[in-house]
Amino acid sequence: MEKVQKYSQHFRIDMPELLNRVDNDRELVHDLLTIFKVEFPRHLQALHDAVASKDMTQTRVVSHTLKGMLSNLSITGAAAAAGRLEQLAHDGAKESLQDAFTAFELQVQGLLPEMETHMAEVRR
Amino acid sequence: MKILIADDEALSRRLLEKTLERAGYEVVAVENGRLAVEQLSRPDGPRLALLDWVMPELDGPGVCRAVRGRQDLQEQAYVYMVLLTSKESKKDIVTGLESGADDYLTKPFNVDELKARLRTGERILLLEGRLVEAREMMRFKATHDALTSIWNRAVIMDLLARELVRSNRESVCTIMLLGDVDHFKLINDTHGHPVGDEVLQEIARRLLLSVRSYDFVGRYGGEEFLLVLNNCNPEFAAARAEEVRKVVSSRPIQTAAGALQVTMSFGLLLSKDWGVRPVEELLYEVDAALYAAKAAGRNSVRMALPKLPSTELPVHTGEAVHPLR
Repeated sequence: MEKVQKYSQHFRIDMPELLNRVDNDRELVHDLLTIFKVEFPRHLQALHDAVASKDMTQTRVVSHTLKGMLSNLSITGAAAAAGRLEQLAHDGAKESLQDAFTAFELQVQGLLPEMETHMAEVRR
Repeated sequence: MKILIADDEALSRRLLEKTLERAGYEVVAVENGRLAVEQLSRPDGPRLALLDWVMPELDGPGVCRAVRGRQDLQEQAYVYMVLLTSKESKKDIVTGLESGADDYLTKPFNVDELKARLRTGERILLLEGRLVEAREMMRFKATHDALTSIWNRAVIMDLLARELVRSNRESVCTIMLLGDVDHFKLINDTHGHPVGDEVLQEIARRLLLSVRSYDFVGRYGGEEFLLVLNNCNPEFAAARAEEVRKVVSSRPIQTAAGALQVTMSFGLLLSKDWGVRPVEELLYEVDAALYAAKAAGRNSVRMALPKLPSTELPVHTGEAVHPLR
């Protein structure tokens, strides 16, 4: 664990945990963050559209994908919020969907700028 | 070892890819279930697979069912499949395993756990490989002659019966050639059984070389060999039989006792001359033709022909296919 660099606690990505999981492969972490930066906005938009149209199937599929992406990057709070959305869609709870989506948006707000910081860190 | 990753999510795919490459695997990565089935159905495809549960076109359990279905039908090599899932309920796990998955792993995965589970898969594949090897060995022993490695009596008889049925159905001609090594007892008595065995092995090899890849050569008895040549032109049957005879006698056989000149006598029978007859009856007739070849001085071929149709009884004529030497 000594080899894993310390990061500020206010970040939503648990970077020490992530680096530990990938055996401190900083290049891989950089790759993953790059993929996330490209993929995440597309999925977020798809989720927004699915929730707005109360499309339960699409909401379930997209929130599942987002949950996986966020979990893989050790962004646990946002992953849990995505999981909540997936469960609601699975249960057909249309009336709770919008609130859950708002909660999810709060969790992921500012995530992309945070990525930039981490990408710069792992590049050092 | 080759491993397949099937995951529609690019980030997860990259993470798995790099993790497994670092662990020494040769990684093949695809983004949906249909492509996964394609990869796993290839003869040289991966035999270890990590499948995401939720995927477009075909989900992970669907891939498992498709692969297992093909394996049952085609006797394909076993594929060890691990489902990657964030589903943790007992019901989901049971569904996954019942679809044909060997194991499952919850996401986000722990690298050490992933490697350990894949090592379990490798151990099972290794064991399966050994079992298949043993089964193939047993299958070979059950169908081949231990001394000469050509078809054994049971199999050559079976192949003959099938070819006769086929030739009747398709109105083509199958040639039966029953050969016996001349004076084989003398070889055994003079030089010993190990030398006799060498002679039989070399004869089997020469007989195999004398026929087409889709013809059959089997050991019928001690020093008797049965050749089944399918879809032959009857006009060239005698010439073909002569070629086979000459392949054996053309040059001496090198043995521990020195070079031995060995010859064979053959009975020849063309299925089109006999119509639909029991295999035993045709074997009886070709054996009688072989006996006639022996009686005519050996190292020769005699053809079995039915007697006049009015008698309704096939009687061997022992017709010579070449002048006696």
